[in-house]
Formats: sequence, C-alpha cells, structure tokens
Amino acid sequence: MKTLRYSYLVLSIGAMCMLQSCSKFLDEEVFSQLAPENFLGTKEGIESLLTDAYARTANMNSNNSIYVLAPQEWPTDILYQSGDNVERTARDFINFTWDPSIDFLTTNWDPPYQAIRDANLLLENMENAELSDGEKKVYIAECKFLRAINYYKLYFMFGTVPLRTTTTQTLQLARASEEEIQHFIESELLAAIADLPAPGEEAAYGRAHKAAAMGYLCKFYLNTKQWQKSAVIAEDMINQFSYDLFPEYKNMFRVENERNAEYIWVRPAFASSDRATANSWANTSFPDNFAEAPSLGIKYLSTYVNWPNEFRIYDDFYNSFEPGDKRRDLLITSYINSAGQTISLLGDNNIRSFKYWPDPNAQGASHGNDIPEIRFADILLTRAEALNELNGPTQASIDLINQVRTRAGLPKLALSDYSSTEALRDHLLKERGWEFYSEGHRRMDLIRMGKFIENAQKRGKNAKAYHALFPIPQVVMDADPLMVQNEGY
Amino acid sequence: MIKPVFIKIWLVGCIIAMAYSHALGQTVINGKVMDAQSNEALVGVSVKAIGSTAGTSTDEKGNYSLTVPLNTKELEFRFLGYQTQAIAINGRQTIPVLLHPDDAKLDEVVVVGYGTVKKSDLTGSVTTLSSKDFNKGAITSADQLIAGKAAGVQVVQNSGEPGGGISVNIRGVGSINAGNSPLYVIDGLPLDNSAAVTGSGTSFTGMRTVRNPLNSINPNDIASIEVLKDASATAIYGSRGANGVVLITTKSGSSGALRVQYDAYAGMQNVAHKIELLNAPDYMRVMNAIIDAGGGNESQKITDISGTGTNWLDEIYHQQAAIQNHNLSFSGGNEHTTFLASLNYYDQDGILLHSNNKRYTGRINLEHHADRFKLGLSLSTSYSKDLYVPNGMDLNERAGIVYAAINYDPTLSIWDDNGKYTLSKDMNIDNPLAIANGKQARSNLYRTFGTIYGEYQLAEGLSAKLNVGGDVVNQRRDTYVNRLTIDGNAAGGIASILQGKNSNYLVEGTINYHRDFKQSSLNAVIGMTGQRFIDNDFSAEARGFPADVTKTDNLGLGDPTTHITSSGKSSNSLLSYLGRVNYTLLNKYLFTTALRVDGSSRFGTNNKYGYFPSVALGWKLNEEDFLKNVKSLSNLKLRTSWGQTGNQEIGNYQSMSTFGTGLKYVYDGVQVTSTTPSRLANLNLKWETSEQLNLGLDFGILQNRVSGTIDWYTKNTKDMLLNLPVPRSTGFSTIMTNIGGVRNSGFEFMLTTNNLTGAFKWDSNISLNTLKNKVTNLGGIENIITGSAGSTSQIAIIEEGKPLNSFYGYKIAGIWQQNDDFSVTDDQVSPGDIKYVDTNGDRVVNAEDRVLLGSSFPSFMWSFTNTFSYKNFGLYVFIEGVNGAKMLNNNLVDTYFPANLKRNRLAEPLLNRWTPENPSSIYPSFVNPNGQGQKTVNSYTVEDASYIRLNTIRLSYQLPLKTSTIKALSLYVSGQNLVTITDYTGYDPALNPNGSANFRIDWNAYPSARTFLIGVNLGL
Repeated sequence: MKTLRYSYLVLSIGAMCMLQSCSKFLDEEVFSQLAPENFLGTKEGIESLLTDAYARTANMNSNNSIYVLAPQEWPTDILYQSGDNVERTARDFINFTWDPSIDFLTTNWDPPYQAIRDANLLLENMENAELSDGEKKVYIAECKFLRAINYYKLYFMFGTVPLRTTTTQTLQLARASEEEIQHFIESELLAAIADLPAPGEEAAYGRAHKAAAMGYLCKFYLNTKQWQKSAVIAEDMINQFSYDLFPEYKNMFRVENERNAEYIWVRPAFASSDRATANSWANTSFPDNFAEAPSLGIKYLSTYVNWPNEFRIYDDFYNSFEPGDKRRDLLITSYINSAGQTISLLGDNNIRSFKYWPDPNAQGASHGNDIPEIRFADILLTRAEALNELNGPTQASIDLINQVRTRAGLPKLALSDYSSTEALRDHLLKERGWEFYSEGHRRMDLIRMGKFIENAQKRGKNAKAYHALFPIPQVVMDADPLMVQNEGY
Repeated sequence: MIKPVFIKIWLVGCIIAMAYSHALGQTVINGKVMDAQSNEALVGVSVKAIGSTAGTSTDEKGNYSLTVPLNTKELEFRFLGYQTQAIAINGRQTIPVLLHPDDAKLDEVVVVGYGTVKKSDLTGSVTTLSSKDFNKGAITSADQLIAGKAAGVQVVQNSGEPGGGISVNIRGVGSINAGNSPLYVIDGLPLDNSAAVTGSGTSFTGMRTVRNPLNSINPNDIASIEVLKDASATAIYGSRGANGVVLITTKSGSSGALRVQYDAYAGMQNVAHKIELLNAPDYMRVMNAIIDAGGGNESQKITDISGTGTNWLDEIYHQQAAIQNHNLSFSGGNEHTTFLASLNYYDQDGILLHSNNKRYTGRINLEHHADRFKLGLSLSTSYSKDLYVPNGMDLNERAGIVYAAINYDPTLSIWDDNGKYTLSKDMNIDNPLAIANGKQARSNLYRTFGTIYGEYQLAEGLSAKLNVGGDVVNQRRDTYVNRLTIDGNAAGGIASILQGKNSNYLVEGTINYHRDFKQSSLNAVIGMTGQRFIDNDFSAEARGFPADVTKTDNLGLGDPTTHITSSGKSSNSLLSYLGRVNYTLLNKYLFTTALRVDGSSRFGTNNKYGYFPSVALGWKLNEEDFLKNVKSLSNLKLRTSWGQTGNQEIGNYQSMSTFGTGLKYVYDGVQVTSTTPSRLANLNLKWETSEQLNLGLDFGILQNRVSGTIDWYTKNTKDMLLNLPVPRSTGFSTIMTNIGGVRNSGFEFMLTTNNLTGAFKWDSNISLNTLKNKVTNLGGIENIITGSAGSTSQIAIIEEGKPLNSFYGYKIAGIWQQNDDFSVTDDQVSPGDIKYVDTNGDRVVNAEDRVLLGSSFPSFMWSFTNTFSYKNFGLYVFIEGVNGAKMLNNNLVDTYFPANLKRNRLAEPLLNRWTPENPSSIYPSFVNPNGQGQKTVNSYTVEDASYIRLNTIRLSYQLPLKTSTIKALSLYVSGQNLVTITDYTGYDPALNPNGSANFRIDWNAYPSARTFLIGVNLGL
C-alpha cells in the first residue's frame, strides 16, 4: 500500500517536473514563416524579398491595376466611370469633390511605402549577405531604382512625403522638403543608372534596367520642368538603346505582343485565378451584354466577366482625334450584344477603350496585359516637349512628334503651323492624349501644362488650384501627428 | 526571467508537513437512509466514517453497510439536495437515518477551478446554474443554456444560422485586440475554442465568425455550469482568467439500478421577423419618380415588370424549417463504480435555403473508488455535419444571399427567357437564387476530447491528483461553385477544400489538503499544469472542370494551371504553477488567497512569466450572535475580493518579426511568389492584466424563500494590447503593443423567490446587471477610428473616457425644406437632402463634425424567469431585455447611400420619402443620396438595439403513470423567440453579425428563427 502511495506521488510530481525540465516547452516554434536571423543572409532570401518589393511597386494585386490608373484619368477630359458600387467614389474623383477619406488614396500610398520598406530592409542587409560584390552592386541599384520610382509616384500624387530611407528612422516622420524629395529621387536614379544592367541584360523581364531608370529620370525632369536635363537624357536614351516604335499601335497592347521594342517599363500582368497580378481593365470596358466588337474582331468568351462598373470615354475626347488616326480604332463606338443587336455607344459619352485587348487566357476578371508605364513614344514626345519649352517650336521637336504621328497614320506636322511655344504645347497636350489614353498619364500632362484645373472648370467642375495634389489619406494623417495635410483639404 | 522556484519548495514542504495515522481493528455498521419527509429510500447517499477513509453509498433500497475502524465515533451522510448529517455511533451496529431536504441550498457544492467549495463558504463571485436553471427549448450549445440566466454574462448570437456563432462576454470587455471570450473548462480540461477551419472557400462568402465550436458538446450531457466572474474565482486560471471562466461539469452516474432516460423534441422554425423591401410596382414608381426629380437619366427608367416581379427575400427563406433532437442516456453503478453513457442526435434546418446542422455525439463518464484511490474518465466524441449557404458581411460580386436578395431588382423574374437565372445588368451581383443553388459548402467536423484522472488519498485530508487530458478537432470543408453562378461559369466550376486540425494536450498534477480544526478549517491546493496547442491546416483549390459533377471529389480533373495549394502550422504552450488556500474561522470568517504563475510561448522573450494573485474575504453575518436570533434571516454573507488576472489571447508569433507570404510578381511572363515582413517585432509583448475589485452580498430570508446575491465590481485592464497605429510610411500600419487601459464596472443582482408554495407553485428568478465601460488609457494616442463593413468604414472611435468602440458619425437634424435658410451653409444642399448638424458651426459638414452616437454596451440587461406548476402541469415563461445598446444597421446604410440607383432598398424610407408634395421631416428625397459624401455612420443608421423579448414559453404535462418499467413520462410544447418589442428596424436587435459583442454591426444578418417544439421526456 505504501509503495503504491509513494509511486503515485512520485509519478505526479515526476510528470509535472517533466514539463518543467523540458526547458524548450515555452519556446515559440515557427513553422510556416521564415525567421529573420538568417533569411536575408542568403541570395534566395534577398531575391524573395526583392520580388515583394517589385510586386508592391507594380501594384497589380486584385483591382489595383485600374485603381492606380483611375485617379490619373477620372478627373480629366478622357474618361469617367459610372455603374454600381464604384460609382460613389468615382463621382468624387470626376467632380473634384474628393476628400482625405475617399477610396483609392491608400491604394496609392501604402504599396509604394511597403516597397520602400522592403528596399530599405534589403539595403541594410546587403552588407552581410553571402553575395559577390558584383551581385551586391546590381541588387543595390535595383533597390535604389525601386525606392526612387515609388517616391516619384508618391510625390506627384501627394506632394512632398516623409522620406524614409532606413528602417531605423523614428516611427513618426514629418514630410520632407521639396528639395529633399527631388534631390533624393534624382540622386537615387542617377546611382541606379550607373550600376543597373542594360535593357535585355537584366536577370528577368520585369527587373530593373538602365533604360527604365533613365526613363523615370527623364519623366521626373519633365514633370519638374527641368527641361534641359529632360531633353538631354531623352536624347541619350534615343541614341544609346535600340528602342523603337511598335509598328502597329492597335496591336501593341495585346498580351501576345508584350515585351516589344517600345515598352521600356511596365507593370507586368499575368492572368491567374487569385488575381494577384491582374489587369482588370477589360472588365470595365465591356458594355452591357457585350458579345462582339466587329471593328476589332473581339469576341466575348465565357471565361470573361462583364462588370457593371463601366469606364466610359467622353464623346468630346473621341471627336478630338484627327480623321484617320489609327489610335482611335481602339475606342469602340458600337458593338453587338448577346441578343445579336448592334448597339451604338456614340452620342451618350459611353465609348469604350479596348486598348487592353481581352486576354484569350483570362481567368474571370483577371487579364494578363502588361500596363506600360514608360514607352518609347513617351520619350520621343518628352524630348519634343522639353525642346519646345526651352527653344520654342523647332524642327527637332516637330520631327520627334511626326515619328509618333506617322505610326498613327496621320500626316506630318509642319513647323510653320506652330508660331509659339504655347501653340506647340497645346498640340502636344492633344497628341499625348491621343497617344496615351488609358495609360494613366493624363493628369500629370494637364497639370504640367497648366490645364488641369482650367479644363475641369470648363467641364463645369468646382476645381480649385489645390486639387492639383491629392490629399494625404485620412488614415495616414491619423497615424502620425507630424503629418501636415495638403493645403485646401 | 525569474524561475518560480519557490512554488516547488512550497510543494515539497507541504508534503513533508503532512502527517497521517493508521487505524487498528474494524467493525461493520449498517442501516437504511430515507427522506425525512416522504420516508422514501434514498439511493446513492454517500456514507463516510469520520476520521478514516472508509466510505460507501446506499444501494437501490437505501441500505448501506460499512466496515469502519473500531475507534470511529461518527458517520457522515451526504447527499445532494439534502442536509449533510453527522451521526454519533455510540456503539450501535444498525443506524437508520432520516435526511432532511436541504431547503437552505447553501451546502451545495460549487465547482471552482481545481477543486470544490461549499456554497456557504464561497468568497468569490460565482454564478451556479444547474440543469433546472438552464434555458429550455431548442439549444445547440452550452453557452445558449445560460444566455440571459447569469447576471453579468452577455450572450449575443452572431447569426441565426443553425449552430451559428455566439459571442460571450463576462463583465464587459477589457480588450481591443486580444480575445474577449471567457475560458471554457469542461471537466477540468481548458478548451481551445478556435475554429479548425476559418475560411469559407473560394468565391464563397462566409459569416464573420464561424459556427460555434462549442456545438460539438452535447448540451444534454451538462449537469451544471459555473460562471466565475471575480478575480478571486478566476485568478487560479491566471493568464486565461481575465475574461471570466465558464466551468462545465458533465453528468455522472450514481450507484443503483440502471437508469435509462430518453429525451426528444421535434419542431418547426420560421423567420421571426421579416424586413420589408420595395415590391416591384412600388420600386418602379419610386425609382422613376426619383429619376424625374433629377436622380438619374431618362435611360435608366424602369418601363416593365417581368411578370409580377420577384420578392427575392421570400425566395431565399426556407419556410417551415424542421428541427429535431434525440438524447438517450444510460447511467448506474455500484458503490465502487458509477457510469453514464449518452448518445445524441441533433438535426436543424436553417431558415434560409441550403443550411443545416447535424450532430451526433457520444459520451462516457466513469468513476471508480477503491479504498484510497479514485479513478475517473470523462470522454466525449462528436461528429458534426454542416451545410452552408453563402451569406455574410460582403457585397457586390462577393455578396451572399441576403445581401443579393435585399439589393436585387424586384422587377426581374427569377428565370430569363433562356431558362437561366436572370441577371441584372445594373449591378455587379449574381442572382440570389443562383448564389443559393450554385454555391454550396459542407463541412465534416470530428471532435474528441476528454480527461482521465487518478486521485490518491495519501493521508487524512491529503490527496494527490493527476489529470491528463486531450482534445482533437478535425474538420474538412468542401466548397463548390458551379456554372449556375457568374463566378462558377467564368471559371468552369471552382472547387476548394479546406482542412484543419486543432489539437492540444494537458498534463497537470495537484495536491489537495483539507483539515478541520476545532474552530476553523483549512483547504489548500497546489499544482502544476502544462498545456500545448498544435494547429495545422491545408487547403487546395482547382477550377476549370469538364462538368459540375465531381465537385470537390476529384480536384485533379480541374485545369492544372489553376491549382492552388497552401498549408500552415502553428503551436503555442502554457506552463503554470498554481496554489490556493481557503481558511474558515468560527464558521463566520472566510479567507481565500490564490496565486497562479503562467508562462506562455506567446509572450516576448523579455516577459515570459506572469504572476496572478488574488485575495478574498467573507463574513457570514447571520452566524453572528446579534443576528442569530433573527428567525426570518436564513443567510447573510458579505464578500469582497481583489485580484489580478491576465489575457494571453494575443495570437501566435505576435512578438516576433518573421517573413510571411508576400505578393506575387511576374518575371519573364511567369508568376513568382515572394516573402514579406509580417510585422514590426515587439520583444516586450506580454499578457494584458485585469485588476478586479468585487463587493458582494448573499442573502436569504424566510427559510430562503427569497434569496439572492448583489455584486458590485470594477475591473481595470492595463497593459492592454493595442494594434497601435504606426505612421504608414513605415510600410506597416500597426504594431502590437502593451499600452492602454479599459475599465468595466457594474452591479449584478440575482433574486430567486418562491412566490407560491401550495398546490399551485410559482417560483421566479430575476437577473439584472448594469455595465459601464470606459477606455481609461490609450497610451498617448488621441483616438483610434476603427471598424468596417463593406464600403462603410471608420464606424467607431476608441477614445479615453468613452466606451470602447463608440459609434462615431454625423448627427442628423432632419431634412432640408424648401423654405429653409440655405445661407447658413456652404455645402451644396437642396430641399429634400438630409440636414446634418454642423457641430462646429464652420458652415460645412465634414469629418470635424462627427460626434459620439452611443456604444454597443447595454446600460442594463435583465431577465425574468417564471416556473408555475399545478398538479401535473408545469409552465415556464422566460422574458429578457436589453437596454441602451446601439447597433449600426448597415443595410440601412445601403438604403440611404445606395451603391447605385437601381439597388432595391428598405420600403419604409422610400415610400415616405421627401417630395415637394410630401415635405417629410424624417426621410430624404433620395434624389442625390451621395451628394453630401459618404456620411454613412449617422444618427439614423446607428439604431437603438434595446429590446424586450418573450423568449420562451413551455407548457409541460407529467403523465400520472405508476408502472414498474416507466418511471417518469412527460410531454411538453414550447415556443421560442415569440414576441419582441423594439424600435430596431433590422431583422433582430439581438443578432450581431459583426461577431464581437462590444462592437455591433448588423449587415446581411442570417435572420433569427421563431421555433415551436413538441417534446417528450421518458425515464425508465
């Protein structure tokens, strides 16, 4: 009896002490995630985090593909939206009634800063990573490129923003000055240009290369009106690389023609059911019960999705094209519906842009068309514009413009038709609209040429000068007492 | 890190200090035990020789026979519901005993953590509910048994679906980001109540909370539920005690002949309260009138109703949904071994199409006594089969059936000319019936849990207990979206399988010591316990099937490029030391102290162990000389307690910085995966601490015909875990930090009265509690604006001095009228627009003008239970009420701020809308509903969710049978959710689809049912 008694006591205490002696009982074991200690020491870890930085820079998850473009076009003379749930928000963008709490502002704030965070983290860990010096040099240049273009996007959307260049800065951070931001973007891009591989030599299509960095720098100089620098770098790009205009404008944006000689930098897309890298444009361009667009030979497939969220082109924009402009062919003015009836879209501000041809391999709402951010035509027109701003209309400018017009099937401009800088600037604004609609350039083009507010007022909108910058998103304001809201909001 | 070494020293010291003695020589005593009033034999009465360990219990004829040591002086007779008697032997061999029913009810034994305590000696705030107190009618889970029955316990149903989720809060909520659910302990096993499968499947909208994990416990198996509320009671559960503890004790057998009990009911359910939408003709008329008034284009006009149109909500209701429950139990045993075995079958159809919950459970409880040794087993296994219909807090193309049915165009017919489900070209929503019939999910869940314990009496009053337990939940959910739906058609069918397994094991040892001294008694327990939780999950998805035939049974048939798989695993563990001492002096003064030391793997490396102490004092005033002669006073006890408890429900890995799955990108035209930093690390992360002070009074007068308790408490949570917003330029939006505090305080009052005691009996129970919740510290942040449901966001504010998650929005003064002075505002408003209050008087209504609009916390809750009996008839009436709680009615938001013109809306505001001819001062014109921006959270959409409900009526009849086989047979009819008085305009003010009881948002609620049952209870 006593033996049983003691053995039981020993057993109980033994069992308890077993837990205790097992000193690792309370260690937190991680199974499904990667611990930071060694992860960033390897090439695989660096590559993996870098991919996240690229992904957030491209901002193509879910419907972000179009909600990065939308704030750049909805407040302009090209495009508006109506239909279903997005309409509420779209209306505010269209009518210049947006405020800091409106949708799609954080869509354009958080992903850039997440990419910047990734790039900062990579740069801080690069020193100790098991990499050759050559590899490090390229990775560092890629990180600098990514940081710079994200600051570029933030700057032209929101104005000056907090300049976060390490992950160890204080959590609260005030907005940088104009000079600091501009200097940072310029110097980072210059540093990246020095070390990035030439286009075509990058590790994979979608990775940074020298021309992409130069392209951004060129556009940065243009939008900050540093005309001389912009013109020089554009010329350098035209001479240094083998970029060329894609012969047929109409087909350039089709999935099968991606990676062409005109695309310098894109937000890459790939159709997949998780819509992680999706181009959503086509869902918004299909009109009601769309079955076929005979003018383009596009047929609706059962794998497509037709949203009631409709991106509609203004009749005025369609009518502004010169006769014979092939670029207008991608705007459809009639279609055949599922009942076999031909429906006209003209006259009701309901024209649809099929620039991003529906992907034959689309998976539901996910299409695989890359969205170009910088293409060769832009570099040509950028140099033309910069030269015009520097010297007034010159044959050099006219020739550059004519390259783009010739591809569009239009007659060449003559220098004699443009008597002043303003005259050619006005033409360039139109030319850029025809060339780059649905590519998210319109807002900056209008702002740069001083027409953003004026045009909106002409459309009857209550636009004010301060609308040239979007407000800092309210959630961003709420989380950092050092943030100061843009004037007017 | 401090190692709790002193606990071990204490443990060893206690054992050494114990002394024990041996008895020499024995004698046999026998006799019969009967009820003193009815002279009926009492079966299963525990008989013990005081001063030794000898004991037995009476047989089926009430007889006992006990061998006791010669030096034994007294025998003790103990039986539940009767007063315990100690009878001197005085040399007798035969001792007949009459036991008196225990009217006082004070010596009931109350289960507290790691032991029991006599109710009269209780110092903490504990509400005990036994099966007679439980809610009656169709009950799916343990928490429904006590809903409305215990003061200070708020039980809110999250969904009316069968087995729908429930949120339970005890004494308010003390946490924003950690869990607020109490700890459930069933027969000594702390339950992990997280769901094994949390997702709902691809392209399938699920509820914000999953079905209740407690469903796998058969409510019929439960003998009693103890709710531990104050820190004195909960501190023994340390870092899991802060939200209160619910102890569930299952039924056990008693010695005697085999007893068979069969209980069953069957019934019907309907939607208790329907909401009214515009019907087709009204919709056409109102929308066209709005267009005429400038709210739309001529081309949008509705010209035609297809047939008579469709009432989409009526189409998705399941009329006359059936429900049935069968429970069969066997129990019995002898003086050494008792057992109970039970089987249960439960089957409930939902009141929306294609939803159902079936459950099969089995249980075995065994207990064996042999001399000094006691061995017990409590084991339950269950199989739940759930059928789901897509519904939840989502919208548009992701909408579930309730959202779709509310928003869909009522002028459409169900089918189009081609025999397909009609699609509206005006909205990105699938046909509600296509969703119901084309998206279906089923889940199979298996859960087995139980404990085995052995207890050995080392010496008089000293025993050691080893308790080993385990719990395994295995669930698989299959979802298939077929070609009837837009999604399924585009993808060629979408199949997804979600699998999850949650398991944990428990090992604990405790040593109990009990000793009665001359004028005092001592009760102590010390112990050590460890529990480890391991969860893993796996999911797979495929699309593009050749036909909708194989569904989830052959993913390999799907298009291989669409296959998606994922998996995950996580674990956490707790290692704890505990001790408690109860000391009673002169049977008047009670003293309790407890301490638990908890180590948790979830805490940061700098804060691995937490210490949770408590003390409590009690004073039995009625035992004092100055009150002893007051005959009418049967009980009067003052209690007070103080203690600290913790909350470790912060999720796994929150203290660490890890890399998780990042976004995808495209290299060379091929999708690639990536990794991304998961969070900002916080190595100091630790538990939340709640410090609670409780004052209580227990009273009973007139032989306890009137008895009750009053408690007042204040509970301060500090080191509250906050997802502290960090500047988003860091790339993160929040960091989990121990900062901030919340205070909950309130009164609780429970009263039991025997109003009539003659042939016609009337007993009643009243429960009432108040609650005040206040954020006391936000760590320097001015406020946090939080909450979202669809496109409604920034719903509530968390601010110092205000209740947690107070609704925050615009105050509506009325409607702009034609003769109003519009010069007072710079806003673009027209007659018929909503007139918001410009609180700061700056002539524009913007975010600065938002005000507090109340909170989800009820100012008080009450219930009133009545039991009447006359001869063989019994009547049970249960009424409950909630006062002062607010809820955001997001379906009302959809009515006032429609996503587009063509969305259907609630009828009342639209039918009475402002027009120049009908200058309503309540309802706007709806001509430009979003013209003043998205002021979605306002004094219209935040509604008063107070209600009074006739919850249950049950009429029963006990058949006057006297046969040898049938011991008892009764029949009953009952109705649940019968009448509700409320101003709330949604389905049910008592529902909260948002899931957490402290933040109530009603949106696309699965409506609640009115249930009618007939039932039978048969005892053999």
